Amino acid sequence: MKKSLLAMLIAAGAMQAGATSYEFDVTLKGYQGDATSSVSYSGQIARHALHNSLKKVVSQGDEAVMLQYLSGTEDGRKLLDPASKDGFAIKQSSIDELSKGKNLVSSAYDGVITGWPGNPTGQELLEQLVAQAAQSNQGYDPVNGYDYIQLVSKFAMGAVFYNKAVNHYLEEKLEADQHPNNEAYKAGVPYTGKEHVWDEAFGYFGAPAHGLELTPEEVVQITKQNPEYFAKADANGDGVVDLKSEMAYAHAYYAASIDASAGTNYFHTIMQAFVDGRQLISDAKGERLTDAQRSELKAYAATIATAWQQVIAEAAFKYAGSVYSDLEKIAAVEEAHGDVSKSFRNYVKHWGELKGFALALEAAGRDLGNAQAGLDRLIGFSPVLFGDMQVVAQDGQGGFVQASSGSMQEYKLNMIKVQNLLAQSFDLKAKLKDKTGGMSDVLKQIDAAGQSAEND
Amino acid sequence: MLETFVVWLADELAAASSSLVDSSKRVSLWYLLSAVLFAWLVLSLRYGALGWARLKPYLSWRVWWHRSARTDYQLWLANRLLLGVLIPKTFTQAVWVSWLYFYWQQQGFGDLQLGWSDATVVVLFSLCYFLVDDFSRFLVHWAMHKTPWLWAFHQVHHGAKVLTPFTVFRTHPIEGLLFFLRSMASQSLVISIFLVAFPNQVSLWQVFGVLITTFVFNVLGANLRHSGVALSYGSKLEKWLISPAQHQVHHSVARQHYDRNFGVTLALWDRLFGSWHPGNDDQTLRYGTGQAIDEMGMLGQWLEPFRSLFQTLQRRTKQRLKLRLRGK
Repeated sequence: MKKSLLAMLIAAGAMQAGATSYEFDVTLKGYQGDATSSVSYSGQIARHALHNSLKKVVSQGDEAVMLQYLSGTEDGRKLLDPASKDGFAIKQSSIDELSKGKNLVSSAYDGVITGWPGNPTGQELLEQLVAQAAQSNQGYDPVNGYDYIQLVSKFAMGAVFYNKAVNHYLEEKLEADQHPNNEAYKAGVPYTGKEHVWDEAFGYFGAPAHGLELTPEEVVQITKQNPEYFAKADANGDGVVDLKSEMAYAHAYYAASIDASAGTNYFHTIMQAFVDGRQLISDAKGERLTDAQRSELKAYAATIATAWQQVIAEAAFKYAGSVYSDLEKIAAVEEAHGDVSKSFRNYVKHWGELKGFALALEAAGRDLGNAQAGLDRLIGFSPVLFGDMQVVAQDGQGGFVQASSGSMQEYKLNMIKVQNLLAQSFDLKAKLKDKTGGMSDVLKQIDAAGQSAEND
Repeated sequence: MLETFVVWLADELAAASSSLVDSSKRVSLWYLLSAVLFAWLVLSLRYGALGWARLKPYLSWRVWWHRSARTDYQLWLANRLLLGVLIPKTFTQAVWVSWLYFYWQQQGFGDLQLGWSDATVVVLFSLCYFLVDDFSRFLVHWAMHKTPWLWAFHQVHHGAKVLTPFTVFRTHPIEGLLFFLRSMASQSLVISIFLVAFPNQVSLWQVFGVLITTFVFNVLGANLRHSGVALSYGSKLEKWLISPAQHQVHHSVARQHYDRNFGVTLALWDRLFGSWHPGNDDQTLRYGTGQAIDEMGMLGQWLEPFRSLFQTLQRRTKQRLKLRLRGK
């Protein structure tokens, strides 16, 4: 008797902890329709597809096409990525199949970005980067050291997905007067206000609904559309990967990729908090959330926001390390009187990723304290170029103004400082491509003991 | 504006009082207590039941509430507030360490690749860290006694007529600033060299959040150094470690004790510099400088050093003038 009671309790507990997949039934009171699932975030997935496709077209240089994906809302836009390939069939083949009338720029951060000349808003910066990409050589500007493919993509992920999720849905939309849980999100839909708010944030993260059943490495391979991992992606076994629920995008991919390399747990931490938070909303069974429930929900939101920010900072950390290595390679090639164009191209690419992620950190209205000024100054408006020049401003026509800076070798010191600043400010764990020899851990120990101003 | 100031003041005072329970601070209650237990143990072994009586100065309210001790407390809090403003926040340890770390690599110094275990590196790093820290404290302290313009500031510390553990905070803010820079410079030096030589292996051997040597030093009665409890480590050990009694000699007003025992933990430096002096359980000392500063309150402690500095400079200028005139 005791045993069976215990078994029942455990089973009940397991049901409570329940969901391993992001699937939840309808709880909306008085719902008359025939939908069984209350989960919906296809608009977010459409934006992931727009971002993936935009990245493809930036390297082709046609501004009109780029604008279709950045700011257009027209029907019939082609889905360029993710697209079906041998051994990895994709269910959808057009953006419209995901959601109609969506674009990236109108969801982008509209606050100021201090890390780019002219202090543009996040939206203005995205438009500017695309316009400049059109002037460049297939997304590459060797004169100013810009790789627009990387700048556009890394910044857009932050300014749109990260911003919308942590600055909007997981922040102001969790308040009691916003989209209450005892009402439909809007007339006719099968989900409540709070359910949909949470789903939209989850959609922006970009994880497959069955993410908790996947290892970080599997998530990475799904994004890369590796045919060997097709079965892992195709959770319902219907022979095609549904972009709406079975694909991994953007920061979910980066979280998994960092975890796969460093053994950290960012992806599952964020995923679990999303599932647990959504379970909490479902458990309210269509009633208005109490203050206690909302504060519990906010705790999940805080877990997500912190880990998400760490993922972006970890990515910036890694690319600061790559930039450092590139500068070493350039010096070595120069010393051997070799051709530096290839090394320089890599340097510009990695710098674009570093800068894009660093700008993303400031594109969600979160207070970074003095880390923001530190990152802006240490990274600068461009990489240090040959002749020890760096972009310092923009002129009235939108052209870049260069001035003499420190040397390329001195810029390496900046990369060490960037890594330190990121590691300390965001409490990083993975620290891939660490060029500081583990400095931040030692400094943490010393700081904890405090500076001694006393003797004897 | 006023609100910001009040919040800042409250924060700083709260941080100061948190030192009393923070195991990384020497004046935490744990170490204040462990010091008396340690002294009681040693003195009881040496003198039996009479040992307890020797602890009297540590436990006497007359000492803790002496005018000199009250000035110590005032200086502790006032200096904290002032140094909070004086010490530049952007000039952090990370900046120093990063620059040095990069500098060594530019000079061609790199990973030694010795294949040593993490434990070996941790022990070696902690040892070097301790040695450099202890020697740099000795050196700066030595300079403060030997250089007239530094002594002008350091006399504040020696103006204490009774010693309590809080006398460690009885310093002039300028001295506080110098010791802050010392700690930055010495730590940055050791950390940066080890990070280059043993990347990703460097870590301090810590106990309860403090370096093991600091922990042992504090548990074994660091607080007795500034107290009236004369406790010698015995003639053999005192040649290696500075005992509380030896530090009390350093504070003695007697002429034969001038400029003795500058060291903090190790006695080695004093022996090398010829300033070593043994301590004794039975020593009876008077503390202070015998100068006007001994009697001054908190403001006097802040201002008097500038007056003596001015005097010293004036005297020097006159001397130089005289010499020049004589030369003509």
